[in-house]
Amino acid sequence: MNFEPDDNQAAILDGLEQLITAQKIEPPKHPTFVAFSETLDAELAASGFLDIAREEGFSPLDAALIVERIARLPLCAEVAASALIGPLFPIDALQRPVAVLRGSPLGAARFLPQARSLVVVEDENVSLISVTPDRVVPVESLFAYPYGRLASVEGLAVQRFSRDMVAAVLRRWRLSMAVEAAGLMQAALDTVLEHVKTRKQFGRALGSFQAVQHRLATAASTTNATKWLALRAAWSDEEADCAMAATYAQDAIPLFTYDLHQFCGAMGLTLEFPLHLWTYRLKALLGELGGSGGQARAAADLTWADAA
Amino acid sequence: MEFGWNEDEVRYRDRIRKVLDESLPSDWNEIATHGPGSKPQTEFSKSFCKILAKEGMLIPHWPSAFGGEDGKPWDHFILGEEIWAAGEPRGPQYMNVNWIGPVMMRYATPEQQNRYLPDIVAGNVIWCQGFSEPSAGSDLASLQTRAEKVDGGYVVNGAKVWTSYAGLADHCFLLARTGAGKSGIVILLVPMTSKGIQVKEIDALIGEGDIHELFFDDVFVPEENRLGAEGQAWEIISYALQNERIGIPRYAFARRILNRAIAKLKADGRFDDPVIKDRAGRVLAKCEAARMMVYRVVDERAKGAPPSAFGNLARFSVVQADHAVSDFMLEYMPEGMLGDDPMQQAHHQRAIAAGIASGAAEIQLNLAARRFLDLPSE
Repeated sequence: MNFEPDDNQAAILDGLEQLITAQKIEPPKHPTFVAFSETLDAELAASGFLDIAREEGFSPLDAALIVERIARLPLCAEVAASALIGPLFPIDALQRPVAVLRGSPLGAARFLPQARSLVVVEDENVSLISVTPDRVVPVESLFAYPYGRLASVEGLAVQRFSRDMVAAVLRRWRLSMAVEAAGLMQAALDTVLEHVKTRKQFGRALGSFQAVQHRLATAASTTNATKWLALRAAWSDEEADCAMAATYAQDAIPLFTYDLHQFCGAMGLTLEFPLHLWTYRLKALLGELGGSGGQARAAADLTWADAA
Repeated sequence: MEFGWNEDEVRYRDRIRKVLDESLPSDWNEIATHGPGSKPQTEFSKSFCKILAKEGMLIPHWPSAFGGEDGKPWDHFILGEEIWAAGEPRGPQYMNVNWIGPVMMRYATPEQQNRYLPDIVAGNVIWCQGFSEPSAGSDLASLQTRAEKVDGGYVVNGAKVWTSYAGLADHCFLLARTGAGKSGIVILLVPMTSKGIQVKEIDALIGEGDIHELFFDDVFVPEENRLGAEGQAWEIISYALQNERIGIPRYAFARRILNRAIAKLKADGRFDDPVIKDRAGRVLAKCEAARMMVYRVVDERAKGAPPSAFGNLARFSVVQADHAVSDFMLEYMPEGMLGDDPMQQAHHQRAIAAGIASGAAEIQLNLAARRFLDLPSE
């Protein structure tokens, strides 16, 4: 048991930090619902960070650490699906950015406007559809991810993968949601902590009121529990652990996001204040794969399959 | 990062399970339904802890100079997980090995160590913790029990309340006041046979024999029974509470009870109910989240880092998990509380105290807010 990064992981995180620093990333200067950065996305891809789980001597845990760190940035890039779901497919079969859908290929998917590959998980198989931006209709929403949907799949190249891939993709999808949620929670919490330490009402900093302190301490407990449960799932890469981690994250999102917005008052409802860039990614994750109930039932089934 | 167990740790856990399987009597589940402070559990603990001592499983984490085996922090924690998951057959003696002994090793005089530690090592002594008072619960530093300095010692007057295990205890780890403020608190190691001590059991939801009122009426305590110097008590208490707060791996018992509940729900054909399965999955996630939070604290300790406020966050997550399991069973398996499953009731009785004992959950949040989040005080 070791909760500290090993030498390899420390080197990965150092390298990632250098890339982030070189990008001089700041919250968007103009109010926006979505802060997708093509530059960041391209730099991450070119640097090889997103392929790390394919490399010998590296693991999904290393990829998860990257996903968690990038999720804390105010700008978003397509990282989780590329780093954690992508390596399940042959390297020449899949191009990034990657979007993922469950069921119909015509649903709205995160990062589909940028995607080159769409992974569609059905009950019996997995389809990998090659897409181009001109086939995607952008979907505007409050969610802080770029969304889009295919008008049709006619004429698009489709590769089908066997039933085994269904469980594998669901496992990594759940893992990617949990890890990303952990990073989003941490950044959102940090933003609100800064606000409540400086914003004064009734002659005192908001963060000095016990009613606020208790809920923020609870949010900190939630954030850390999400992170460590997700990283354990990345380490074991087992279905039950991944479902548990996603359950915990999705179960926590409603109260977590409510409290954090609440402590920022009306300012937290504006696009000028960057909180939504994390909370409205969390809210988007809340509804994926059938929501927390879907993950909870999967976790229960996977954990107690043999219980009698 | 590495979240698995090495071969030695797996072997150690297996060995503990084997010892528990071989040494717990067939009626252990019946005994365990009584609280850890009850007469049946206390008496059982005195025979059971002797077995643990013989197997080297009572104080393996203690330094060899004090009879231990210089065990690793993780081994100590694995031991705690397995024993708590079995219903804590050490009874009140878990406190001895987890914090009373370690506190004495650090702060007691050699004479005091010779006097008190051998009985703990042998597994045949019961201590109680004389901390809370009618007007000093979470605000422990406001305690009012007086220790008046007299020739050769102290005369103690006052009252303690919620004192676990006092009914059958041999000694009391007592906090009393010699002056104002935190520096005016003194720790006295008081024989429970001392003249002037009266113990009154409090009927409670958490089981018989668990909590008591203690009355001190002109109780003389010799000076050699003072632990540490006058003015040092708060430092010692803080050290003791750091050990106490995550000392009990409550999530391990909660997870065991949850597993039992699921097996029964399956046997009864109710696990396919999507609502039950949904709730079970959420509760499971809370248990495992608490486990990881506590492991993170143990990892800090294993690396020799000073105690951090992460322990307060971890403790809060443990309380959430314990309550989630209890509430799940209350809602979907109420028959367990109506005589069908005494172990379910035993877990419930422990869970409802989880957020109160050893520092209320809200105190954990206060400490986390200030020390972990660096939020300003009022």
